[in-house]
Amino acid sequence: MNNSHIIDILDNAPLSELTETQLASMRTHIETCSSCARSYESAVLTSHVMHARVAVEIEPSPFFATTVLARIREQQPENTPVMLRLWRSASYLVSSLAITTAALAVLSFVVPGPAIGSSEPATTAYSAESVILGDEEDLSYEQVLSTIYAEEEESK
Amino acid sequence: MVEEAAQEVFMKAYTQLGSYEGRGSLEGWLTKIATNTCLNMVRGAKRRPEQIVSELTENENEWLDEKLAIAANEDHRSAERDLIAADLADRVLGVLSPEDRLALTMIDGDDATIKEVAEMTGWSESKVKVRAFRARRRVREAMEKLIGGKKEQELHLKSAGEL
Repeated sequence: MNNSHIIDILDNAPLSELTETQLASMRTHIETCSSCARSYESAVLTSHVMHARVAVEIEPSPFFATTVLARIREQQPENTPVMLRLWRSASYLVSSLAITTAALAVLSFVVPGPAIGSSEPATTAYSAESVILGDEEDLSYEQVLSTIYAEEEESK
Repeated sequence: MVEEAAQEVFMKAYTQLGSYEGRGSLEGWLTKIATNTCLNMVRGAKRRPEQIVSELTENENEWLDEKLAIAANEDHRSAERDLIAADLADRVLGVLSPEDRLALTMIDGDDATIKEVAEMTGWSESKVKVRAFRARRRVREAMEKLIGGKKEQELHLKSAGEL
């Protein structure tokens, strides 16, 4: 067995997976080959440290669960859809705009404003005198009557 | 770093639970998340190669002495000794790339099969095999260097004492 051979066996598989026959022939070989003996020794130690490393159990800190839960809570807003996040931030602005628009609509269409043309149009446009004297030729019969009666009521 | 990784795995599992389609086992799905998270963290961590195999601490020296003395055949362990050995393992594993390190830790440390590692990482079995082979060789060489350095130092101290 040459040096290269033993090294290939050592590197090809974990030491724990080598067969008894392989191990026996390696042990025989290293008795006469110092270079291979060093390699074998190192392989054995490496196998030990690797197993020891995995065997070490690390206890979590007492705040582990709290920290994880806090991080989950922190991340939750980041996971919500973009549109939902946008709506949440803009909802106050949109609601206030909607309320203002509704208020303006109510004021414009529902609440009656000062009625245009309802306040004495006849009296301001024509006088009873001009109507009686026939100066206003375009007036209808109803307009003549309303103008005359309106002035009479005012004088009372 | 371990706790940080564990936190990250929990976070990812929680946020990505919706993506679990139930095709494989939940354990396998979680293992995959854990594997990828740890691999990314190791990739992101700063490596300090100068510290890897330069000097042994006193504890590591003692551990090596003990192991060399008992021919490393018995399975005599203690939690404290395991911690020292784990530190030493971290040092020698520092010579490896994160991917090779993962393959070696799983196969040689955790006794996982090549197929299992391939499933966990998403690599092909031949890739896992090559990575493990390469990693084993490099780590063994690093260990050889450590032992060689230690023996040389002892020899030096011994000859100085004789003078």
